[in-house]
Order: sequence, then structure tokens, then C-alpha cells
Amino acid sequence: MSWVAVAKKDFRDASQSRALWGLVVVFVGVASLLAYAYAEFPTTIAETDEASVGGLVFFMASAVGLFVSLTAIVVCYKSIAGEREIGSIKLLLALPHTRRDVFVGKLVGRAGVLVAAVAVGLAVGYSIGFALIGTVEVVPVLVFLLLTLVFTVAYVGIVVSISATTGSTTRATTLAIGFFLLFELVWDAIPMLLVYVVNGFSLPETMPDWVYLVTQVPPSSSYVLSLIALLPDVADSVGTDSGAEEVDVFYATPELGFAILLFWLVVPLAVGYYRFDAADL
Amino acid sequence: MILMAAIELDGLTKRFGDVLAVDDLDLMVEEGEIFGFLGPNGAGKSTTIDILLDFVRPTSGTASVLGYDAQKESLQVRQRIGVLPDAYHVYDRLTGRQHMEFVVESKGADADIEAIMERTKILEAADRKAGGYSKGMRQRLVLAMALVGDPDLLILDEPATGLDPNGAREMREIIRAENDRGTTVFFSSHIMEQVEAICDRVAIINKGGLVAVDSIDGLRGSSDTTTTLEITVSNAGEDDAEMVRALGGVQSATLEGDTLRVTMSGDGSKFDVLNALDDAGVEVGDFSVDEYSLEDLFVQYTTQKQEVRA
Repeated sequence: MSWVAVAKKDFRDASQSRALWGLVVVFVGVASLLAYAYAEFPTTIAETDEASVGGLVFFMASAVGLFVSLTAIVVCYKSIAGEREIGSIKLLLALPHTRRDVFVGKLVGRAGVLVAAVAVGLAVGYSIGFALIGTVEVVPVLVFLLLTLVFTVAYVGIVVSISATTGSTTRATTLAIGFFLLFELVWDAIPMLLVYVVNGFSLPETMPDWVYLVTQVPPSSSYVLSLIALLPDVADSVGTDSGAEEVDVFYATPELGFAILLFWLVVPLAVGYYRFDAADL
Repeated sequence: MILMAAIELDGLTKRFGDVLAVDDLDLMVEEGEIFGFLGPNGAGKSTTIDILLDFVRPTSGTASVLGYDAQKESLQVRQRIGVLPDAYHVYDRLTGRQHMEFVVESKGADADIEAIMERTKILEAADRKAGGYSKGMRQRLVLAMALVGDPDLLILDEPATGLDPNGAREMREIIRAENDRGTTVFFSSHIMEQVEAICDRVAIINKGGLVAVDSIDGLRGSSDTTTTLEITVSNAGEDDAEMVRALGGVQSATLEGDTLRVTMSGDGSKFDVLNALDDAGVEVGDFSVDEYSLEDLFVQYTTQKQEVRA
């Protein structure tokens, strides 16, 4: 259980980072602003007639996806690579910790930091939202918070794992930013481009079925899809659509989100740990 | 009682790409000794220590520490040793005390943090963030961390780095005190002087391979060390030189004007020479000693000595 000691130390260390606190302040500001904007101008902002807590949940989800992915990078890219680069990992591993303890401890410590930051931001945001909308709905918000917790842990896992594959923070930064650019920014364009090229430089009437699967691959897409699967009625009532109905294959259901989210929760950690365990530090 | 090996290296080899960092190293450090691991920078000292701590995996061969396999049983090894690594870095945002608390918690030790910090003279900075420490203070903090839990073996990689002469002396005193309580000490250095002052035995390595293992006296004896003494004398004659030549350990004594040049082997005493001159009524002015030091020996071992000797 020595990962507990590592996690505690890491939490202590990371939670004193000014960059993190800056991000928390930014997120509290963003969440408050989003809640305010949604509650006051639902028509302009969210194209819905009336502000509801359910609507706010889905409205917030996309902002959380962006915030969590960016903060995970800021908080975690140096988590292991940085300790290897400057040599503090020598102090850590000279103590009775296995590399697995260090890896798990880092994961838990950083996840704790990020979960705390997200929780603070969302608490403030929803408080403002509840106050302005005038109703309190516990269930959708609780479901949203739990799923966001899982999503946050998955993203921390991805970035900690990236950090565990290298002893250079420059390389860790490149890999983490590359991951973000690829999966969170340009990903949707890739299947489109492929279809466009394969189809003789024009887009077909209907997209091939696999395009649906591919577009759900990014962590934040799987997070939103999972949210739809968990709150189908809310999603329906606020007009958020998974797009699954239009695709006629067995995997085109919102539940696909769980499978992909699980993939992101497990596979990066396995790869990162394997690489870290085998490395000469 | 059979002496157990605190550290045992058997055919240890580590290759980084094209570079052979450690080359078929065999070494045995006995329990209870202070062992110096000496070699120039880049000789493979830190790589060897990194293998002992399982930071680096050997290409072939084995290393055992306190009877445990350094790679397969690294957790047991780490539980019983204290380490002052080379090129480490402290956690800038944590205080010295928080570092110590982390070590105590990690080792599950029952330790008096303040008493240990007092010993390594870092207690007064305990509640400051380690990021603001000087190199010497960091070294004192990490030494304090290494002492937590009364380890059976201390592994110190270049422990005097960043310490002023006073700090280096205090470091030696702590090493001796720990050794007196039965702790085996294994420390590396690229400076012979540090090793000479404290070690029971020394291994000299160069280019990843072992070139000598012996006690300090053994190393001295095995080489043709000579000392040259230059004494300014005001009223000495050839008979005085003759008298000095008859003393034990003296190889030659020649008088050139006011200077008496005496060469002697390792077992000669320069005080005997000075006393004899004094007894003979010779007025001794200045004198200088040119000792063939262990430093010279070290240089001889770690440069191509075959060519020098040829």
C-alpha cells in the first residue's frame, strides 16, 4: 500500500503549483459564466426555449471536456517524466516503493488534484445555475458529476501514462499536446477526409457506418456519448442527439460511449506502466 | 561468524546502446566495512549504483544487496538501505520536514525526525521549502533522509558534492558514527582524498572495469611510492648526509649547498630524519615534502599505465 504515501506526497506537491490554482480560478470563472449565460440567454446560447437544469448539464459537458483535457495536460505531463528528467525519482525509488507504487501513487495523487479542481468549478457553476433557473434537480447533476469523475480519471491516466513513457519533459509535452490536437481538435475531420478521398474527392450521400464509430473515439466524445446513455430522457428533452439512430449497425448506440471510455481508462495505463516498468531511469 | 556480503556483484555488465558502461564487474563488499568506490567521472560508478537500486537493469550478470537480488527483490533492498543518490533533485515545493515525513511514512519507520535533522545540521531550515536550499543544505537533507530507520547499508553516491571542507568533515563523522553502530557504508567518489580519509577498503574502477581492490595500506604498499624530502640546512656536512642514509627507509641523501635532498620509501619516517639531524646539531630551516600520494596512484591506475610503465 505504499502508493498511498506517494499519492499523498504528490498531491501535496502538485496542489502547491501556481499553474494549477490559476486553472482552478479560470475554470470557476468559466463555469460561472457558462451557467449565467445559459440561464439568462438559453435561446441564443443553447438554442433551447427554456433554461433547465438538464439543459445546463449537457451545456456544461462540452466545456468540461475541454477544461479537463487541458488541465490534465498541465497538471500531469511532467508527473513522471519530470521526476525522471531532474532526478527526484531517485529519492522516490530509493525508498521502499516499487515502480508500480510510484505509477499508481502518481495517478491517484494527480487525479485527486484534478478532481478537486473540477469539483470546485462545477459546484460554483451549478450553484449559480440553480439560483438563476430557480429549480434544483439532484439526479442529473449527480450522474453528471460521477461520470465527470470517471472521465477526469481517464484523462489523468492518459497523460500520466504519456509521461511515464519518457524521461524527457520536452518529449512528454510534445506527446501530450500531440494527443490533444489529434483527438480533441482534428479528429472529426480525419474520417471525413478519408471518405472524401476514397470516394473520388467528393462526399457520398450517406456516410459509411464505420465513420460513426471512429468519430466517437476521442475521450471527450465518449464522455458526452456516455452522458447521453445515462440520461436519455434529459438528452431527449434538451435536443441533444447522439446521432446513433441514423446509423443502422449494432454498435451505433449511446452505450458505445461506455466501451470507449473504458478503453481510455485501461489501455493507456497498461501501456504507460509497461513502458515505465521496463525503463532504465 | 561468517561475514555476509553486503553487496555482491557477479559478472555485472551494462550496455547503453554502443556504450559499455559497466564491464563484467565482480565485487564483494563485506558487512560492517566502509567501502570506497573510486573512479574518474564516467567510469561506471553511478551506473553500478543505479543497478544496486534497480534504477537500471543489467545487460548481464547479477547484483545482490544484503542477500537480496537487486532487481527481483528491490523492495526488500530499499526497506533496509539508506541512499544518497547522485544527481538527485529535491521536491522544491515541499519543506525539509515534509521530505522527512514522506521518508518516515514510506519506510514505516519509527524515527525522531528532528533528532536526525539536528545530526546533519539541517534542522533550522526544516520548515523552509527545499527549493530554496543551497546545494550543501540539500545534501544535508538527503543525508538525513538516508539515515531514517537505521539502515543496515548506506549507499552514498559522491556524498561530499556541494559541501564545504567543514561539511565534508561532518559528513565523514556521521559516516564513522553510523559504521560504529554496525552499518555498512558503500560510497563512491572521484576524489581519492575523500576515500583515503575514511575507507577500510577501496575499489578503483575505470571504463566500467575493476582495476584494483584493496585496503588503503595495501594500495600504498603495492605501488612503488617514494617520498622526497627537501631540507634547508645551514651547517650540515657530508658526514650528516652519510648519517641520514643509514636511517631505516631512506634510499638516498644528497647535499647540494644548503639543501639536503632525501628520498625514502613508504615505511621511512620523515620525523626520524629531522630528529636525527637535530640531534647531530644541524640547524634545520625550511623543509618540503613531495609525497607520492594515493592521488598519484589513482591517476596511475586510471590512465593507461601500461604505456607509462613500458
